Amino acid sequence: MFIQYFFESYMTCSGSISAAPESLHPSLWRASQLARGDTRCIDTGHPALSAQLPGGGWPTGVLVDLLLQQPGIGEMRLLRPALAAVAQRRVVLLQPPHPPQALALAALGVQPSQLIWLRADRTADALWAAEQVLRSGSCGALLFWQNHVRGEHLRRLHLAAQAGETLFFMMRPLAAGQDASPAPLRLALRPQAGGIEIGFVKRRGPQRDATLFLPLTSYLPDHHAPVDRPAPAPVAARSVHTELVH
Amino acid sequence: MFTPNWSTDAGTDVGTVVLEHERVLVASQTALDAGVRTGMRRGGVLMLLPDARIHARAPLLEADARHAVALALLQYTPQVAQAEESTLLMDVGASLRLFGGILALCRRIHANVRALGFTASLACAPTARGAWLLARANAGRAVRMESLLRRLDRLAVLLAPPARPFAAWFDGIGCHTLGDLRRLPRPGLQRRCGRELLDLLDAAYGLVPELHEWIAPPETFRARLELYDRIDDADLLLAGAQCLLLQLTGWLCARQLAVERLLLQLEHERGRVARAPTGVEIVLAEPTWRDEHLVRLLRERLGRLVLDAPVIGLALEALQVRPMAPPNASLFPEPGGSEEDRMRMLELLAARLGPENVLQPLPLADYRPDQANVWVPVQQKVGDKARNAQLPPDVQSLPRPTWLLARPIALLMRNHRPFYGSSLRMASNPERIEAGWWDGPETRDYFIAEGQDHTLYWVYRERIGSGDEGPKWFLHGLFG
Repeated sequence: MFIQYFFESYMTCSGSISAAPESLHPSLWRASQLARGDTRCIDTGHPALSAQLPGGGWPTGVLVDLLLQQPGIGEMRLLRPALAAVAQRRVVLLQPPHPPQALALAALGVQPSQLIWLRADRTADALWAAEQVLRSGSCGALLFWQNHVRGEHLRRLHLAAQAGETLFFMMRPLAAGQDASPAPLRLALRPQAGGIEIGFVKRRGPQRDATLFLPLTSYLPDHHAPVDRPAPAPVAARSVHTELVH
Repeated sequence: MFTPNWSTDAGTDVGTVVLEHERVLVASQTALDAGVRTGMRRGGVLMLLPDARIHARAPLLEADARHAVALALLQYTPQVAQAEESTLLMDVGASLRLFGGILALCRRIHANVRALGFTASLACAPTARGAWLLARANAGRAVRMESLLRRLDRLAVLLAPPARPFAAWFDGIGCHTLGDLRRLPRPGLQRRCGRELLDLLDAAYGLVPELHEWIAPPETFRARLELYDRIDDADLLLAGAQCLLLQLTGWLCARQLAVERLLLQLEHERGRVARAPTGVEIVLAEPTWRDEHLVRLLRERLGRLVLDAPVIGLALEALQVRPMAPPNASLFPEPGGSEEDRMRMLELLAARLGPENVLQPLPLADYRPDQANVWVPVQQKVGDKARNAQLPPDVQSLPRPTWLLARPIALLMRNHRPFYGSSLRMASNPERIEAGWWDGPETRDYFIAEGQDHTLYWVYRERIGSGDEGPKWFLHGLFG
């Protein structure tokens, strides 16, 4: 309210001055451009995505909402460069949907010595644990899977995240996109062939309705490889070894 | 001077009175309101307050209390001495800078004494005897010598114990304050009242030095606290445990030690059967000598504890200590806190969630994916070398799913294809895993399968033991 009023008065009385709003205050930006937040950002590793995010990367010290169609659609591959960048410090997985596999996470660039897996029996315990991790500020990233969170708990977590520089992702189902959230960045993720489709639910910048397709490194082996594979020829008696013949 | 904090629950308090030689020594506020006065006899008290709780003065308990407070105050200075009439003397000259000045130090001492359940009147002075007199008169602080002299001159003569036998004589000659006393001729005063009064006066005014017998902290720490009631509430237990932790802090600071392992025992009431005390053992990864972290750990542990009987007493014991490590002397603090901070956070998480829920990976060199994926409690010490030795040489080349299902899900078959949400298409060549003949053999062909919505799954086909109804398919993982 105040900003809007300030902005209008600023526009009316000094319409001729072409000072950019961000030069007045770092938290101001035009509605047609992306915000340049003063939070430190970590490069997403995907240039197409970085170009669409305020600050040019995943913001640290804030709540980032990732809305997943279901677990296991490539969300970890999406976060892989960012996780690898912060993996000098601990990466905490809080209530993942299934047991995480250390080998796969090592392949994603997070050493097993940096991984912590937290399980909680009750939602209250999980929220408490998330708050403790964020407040201590000693972890590089916190990934928190929780299906139902109330608004006040989200606000509290967002506030706790601001105490440190932890990369904090909250993984929630797509349906949670309907509810309000204090997160400044909310992305909806859906699987696509060879990559992932990102919808921008909320960001500090212009509304973007079109989704962004992001190709991800595939687990699948190269499809052409089997074609070149030598077909085993029938072995005749007393002949040279088939491999050599081929 | 210490007196216990009387319980002041409205409605339940019936008035508490302490008797010494059958005369009232102290009374709680409720009793005072009912008309009980110091010096009354037992019969008078009972007439005014028929259900008053009457206690006889217990010198042993008082000595214990003084000792407990002295132990807790050892964290501010190693020089604490007990003086007459339930007074503690502390030499804080060397501690002022560390604790941020005399006012901050007084506030902390007040808070600690209140946390221990006592009230104290605190006084500071350049001389120990001067501070003693000010504290007995509850006359506040005198930091400079001149202000101390001014304040001492105004104090009553009878505060000094050697002057009390001659109260009538002092009254008769009109000598009421210490200032009047100093103006009397010294030789005559010494002849009439003895050497002690003059010694005390000289010590208080800083004319002669004093010697004190400083309290030596015991070799091992074990403190006990008797609770006033039967308690089964975690918060109240924590308040009791905090008293003991304060003493522990003082003891650790005095002996320059840090605690690694401590045991809190909750003692139960002895009914028909003797009950062993419930023990809460706290093992710290990083030894500490401050009580904030211990209080937080205890709060979570006591919150989870299920008591089978109310608690009547607490005992705290330091089982394992080590010399205090000097603090990290780096000029620029590391971002994200030190390793100790990290360990403290993990300990706190383990205290509430349970150690079995705070896990770190310890991969095992095994072909079977579910056997290889081992997670152990974070308290278990695992060397980086041992862990890396178990990893395959080229982690990148192994297609492994991020999420491994705890137990594989048997898949339905539709049109001769496995079905999970949608019909699955095999997107990779099989990876044959056949191992574990020694325990739980697995003979499986693993595939990466793709659903209609392009989600990738890790599925396998059981090769042996599938029976007559054809190959059996299972879902075992999700590619994150």
